[in-house]
Amino acid sequence: MMEDEAFTDINGKSISLDCQNHSGFCREFTVSSSKVSIGKVMVYTSGVWLLAYTVFFFTENTAVLTCAILVTLVGMMLHIHFVKVDHESLLVIGSLGIQVSSSYASGRETTTFIEQSKIKDIVINEAIYMHQIIYYLCVLLKDPSEPDVVSSVVPLFQSSKPRLNCLVKVYKSCQEILSKC
Amino acid sequence: MGQRRRASAVNNSSSQRVSGAPAEVARVPSRKHNICMVSDFFYPNMGGVESHIYQLSQCLIEKGHKVVIATHAYGRRKGVRYLTNGLKVYYLPLQVMYNQSTATTCFHSLPLLRCVFVRERITVVHAHSSFSAMAHDALFHAKTMGLNTVFTDHSLFGFADVSSVLTNKLLTVSLCDTNHIVCVSYTSKENTVLRATLNPEIVSVIPNAVDPTDFTPDPSQRQDGRITIVVISRLVYRKGIDLLGGIIPELCLKHPDLHFLIGGEGPKRIVLEEVREKYQLHDRVRLLGALEHKDVRGVLVQGHIFLNTSLTEAFCMAILEGACCGLQVVSTRVGGIPEVLPEDLITLCEPTVRSLCAGLETVIARQRSGSVPSPASIHARVQNLYTWRNVAERTEKVYDRVSGEEVLPLDRRLRRLRAHCGPVAGSIFAFVAVLNFLFLLLLQWLAPDRNMDMAVDATGLQRLWRQEPNSKVSPMKRAAEREISS
Repeated sequence: MMEDEAFTDINGKSISLDCQNHSGFCREFTVSSSKVSIGKVMVYTSGVWLLAYTVFFFTENTAVLTCAILVTLVGMMLHIHFVKVDHESLLVIGSLGIQVSSSYASGRETTTFIEQSKIKDIVINEAIYMHQIIYYLCVLLKDPSEPDVVSSVVPLFQSSKPRLNCLVKVYKSCQEILSKC
Repeated sequence: MGQRRRASAVNNSSSQRVSGAPAEVARVPSRKHNICMVSDFFYPNMGGVESHIYQLSQCLIEKGHKVVIATHAYGRRKGVRYLTNGLKVYYLPLQVMYNQSTATTCFHSLPLLRCVFVRERITVVHAHSSFSAMAHDALFHAKTMGLNTVFTDHSLFGFADVSSVLTNKLLTVSLCDTNHIVCVSYTSKENTVLRATLNPEIVSVIPNAVDPTDFTPDPSQRQDGRITIVVISRLVYRKGIDLLGGIIPELCLKHPDLHFLIGGEGPKRIVLEEVREKYQLHDRVRLLGALEHKDVRGVLVQGHIFLNTSLTEAFCMAILEGACCGLQVVSTRVGGIPEVLPEDLITLCEPTVRSLCAGLETVIARQRSGSVPSPASIHARVQNLYTWRNVAERTEKVYDRVSGEEVLPLDRRLRRLRAHCGPVAGSIFAFVAVLNFLFLLLLQWLAPDRNMDMAVDATGLQRLWRQEPNSKVSPMKRAAEREISS
């Protein structure tokens, strides 16, 4: 069973939430952000190049232009490899744990797994982020030896930052699974 | 005095106006406000303003209003917190400059405060304390955003020195287009009206209150065979600690059974320590250091007489707490103090060592002869004088009145500023107001209101906070669960 719904993130850009039901106690949520827009790439590239040409005009040193080309290429590579997240997914498996993974535009993927014994709960919380106050979904961790204390917090969907209506949807289905076990 | 009587007459007439119009009163209860209290001073900082905001908010929540509090971050305490009954507190990360007060640039706090006002659907912004830069900023931004504003002044000011002249100018600018101002005593009202050149009709007097259940008398804690004088105040110049340093040796010499119990901390502690050293009074003058609020009652009940030596005071909470614990109160006759207690419960003196000693002597003589009323009877009289519910009721009337008023649009606001605050300061602040408005437009373009999630209400009409004793569920989770069930 698959559902695909359109939401927006906190900046008003559109994102899509994809819920996949693997079985009764295993569910996967994928939030995909919008792709890198060609316009943005053009703006940054032409910005760097115009600056390089201005410097070149005064210094008449061709090394400046070479640098500009390298900066653009390396910058773009670093951006898609380390900054631009294509989609983030949350795999909830009842009685086993939660797997959080995010894949970057270059295809690189990072994955972490949190086992059930360490999970206290999943909640929606409020935080001050930059110059605004936002809602976010997070996993509360506990130390198995001290089950009543929250030892740390793992925020989910950190780079896509969906809005509250999307978070509530994910939250409800997560709780459905977590409450079963 | 004439002025004060007139002030009270104005207040009486306004309260009669409210109670005299039954149609209005009938409409009032259905009206609920979304209130945002803004001040630099809130818990974990301790003091009168902090407890005033907290108690008032709790009583307003009880009446069904929605209340949130915005203050600046204290150390690691930043972000959003919930207190008892779903009172939501925003600890905003703004830079603290001096004395727990934030820097005022008029602009840098706008993005965060706007976010709070929009997502909580605030209708009335209530700022507290003229020492708080954040309160003034919030008033400024709220007026730019077209929200109704109320300001509570908790302190008295002078007119003579440079710093007062500057703060008074700032206050004039800040209050000239504020919808309503609340003062804690008639003296404070007079002072504020003069300082900020206000129309007295938009200034109300709502005193502070004390929670009588926290301050109950307990004469068994008193030590027999001695008379104990309790002083609880911050040890700073304003509280007249130098006078106290003069009183202690004089009275201790005359009365060998007299003991002093002094609670509080501050730069003037050194004065008291010197006196104690010089006259060898270590066993009779005890300095307790900083007291937590919950420990105050334990100290008060040990004494027979409560002494207050303040040099300036808008409304003295300390003497009220002292009287509520059944102590005889001796105080200086300054500021709003003569208004606080009925004459037979307090002995007023001039702020000089001689007058205070004379006042204390008479009370000590009365105490020895046993002609003072019992602590329980004093408590019974004081406990109904000032209650937070009454304060909340009166504040509610202010909100009702304010929410019906219009907020000045930008052009009229500019004209008011220039007409009211002098050609130079008025023009400067009119310019700042225009810049603020442009900044708001920029923010509305960068981060439109429709992209902001409305906050889930913990208090107010659509409250999701249920009273569940022994519940360990976090409020947000509970809120979200409510949404699931609905």
